[in-house]
Amino acid sequence: MLSGKLLIIAIAGALVLGLGASLAHAGPDDSIMARQTFMKARAKALGPLVAIMKGEAPYDAAVVEASLDTINAAWDTAKTADPFAPDSAKGDKVETWAKPEVWSDPEGFKAASEADAKAMAALAASTDEASFKAAFTALGNACGGCHEKFRRPKEQ
Amino acid sequence: MFWLLSAPRPLDASVLPRHTADVANGERLYNAGGCHSCHKPSPGLKDVDAGLPAGGYPLKTPIGTLYPPNLTPDPETGLGRWSGIQFVNAVQRGISPDGRHYIPAFPYTSYAAMRVEDVLDIKAYLATLPPVKSPSRKPGLPLAFIVRRGIGLWKLIGLDTAAWQPDPAQSESWNRGSYLVNGPGHCAECHTPRNLFMVRDNARAFAGGPHPDGSGDKVPSQRDLIGRGRYKDVKDLATALQFGEVFGYKNISASGMGQVQANISKLPEADIAAIAEYLASLK
Repeated sequence: MLSGKLLIIAIAGALVLGLGASLAHAGPDDSIMARQTFMKARAKALGPLVAIMKGEAPYDAAVVEASLDTINAAWDTAKTADPFAPDSAKGDKVETWAKPEVWSDPEGFKAASEADAKAMAALAASTDEASFKAAFTALGNACGGCHEKFRRPKEQ
Repeated sequence: MFWLLSAPRPLDASVLPRHTADVANGERLYNAGGCHSCHKPSPGLKDVDAGLPAGGYPLKTPIGTLYPPNLTPDPETGLGRWSGIQFVNAVQRGISPDGRHYIPAFPYTSYAAMRVEDVLDIKAYLATLPPVKSPSRKPGLPLAFIVRRGIGLWKLIGLDTAAWQPDPAQSESWNRGSYLVNGPGHCAECHTPRNLFMVRDNARAFAGGPHPDGSGDKVPSQRDLIGRGRYKDVKDLATALQFGEVFGYKNISASGMGQVQANISKLPEADIAAIAEYLASLK
């Protein structure tokens, strides 16, 4: 986790330099941890929606909204540490599974990120169980669309 | 001697059964076979539906970059003029209509186990797609000619032409899964390691192997997926195959498996359940 103190220093530094918060970052490990923390938070927040998909819980628009709010908040936090900083293809101490293609194919990575944002927006715009399920399935394709090219397999 | 042993051995048209094509079955097996993943359109093709197998998208392999060809029914650049036996020889023996060996990145070593009727159904499905003009492109391979001929020798040990056989002791669903995994699905091409001669080492079937992109990454083992705690049970594995990482599963929509999972998600649920049942039984 990025400590609160570091975060404040990082943001303050960025403000002083006038670069904007998205460039604030103390080192590759902070970027890596920021993106990994975000991905974990996102997986956790999607849990209740998976339960709806599996039929283990009834469809509830409020649950969908709460989940998306959690994800957006987690992303706002991650963004402050520049989660895909150019020097974060390899960490100092922490391990990363991001592939070098994230940085060598910036256009491809941007397209995959935009597909994700679009899928999330479609999920937010869903109004009933049918449109929710369709949007959630499409979000799954967006996950794969990025992980396929830009994430290495983990040993297991 | 080399010339003789490495000669293509195509099947004769007389082996084809009388068969009325089933386009829906063809589409299903096209998805099970993951044909689109390698035969997707070249980024240079403008205004072509990315979902069509128009070919030309670069496929990086350890031996060089290949450009899998156009599978749409365009008569000049696609399969429009191919006969049934030409298609069967390509898919199940790795031999082109003009008698050359295909590089075995094209997994005919698995497709050889398929029912000929299923292969013909795939051809019938492909014929229903809109034709796209997408000329073949030569692979980025040094000495491609001699490499191709050498594949003929390799096929003597690397191409098992035995058809898939059911195991009567197992359930119908397990057998369906076994067929889909070992035939069209060609899972073992990446999940089974190869020996010195680049032939699949069946003693270590499904034990995982090197990543086919040559990056040095590993393709995970498919053995004992439930015993190792990768999935709770057969149903959990089927759900993972159907929906992928958005359901919180790990490593199933990434690094090459993403396309596989996307293809599997298009199969009927009974087929996905069958694949899961078979995979869960691998120890």
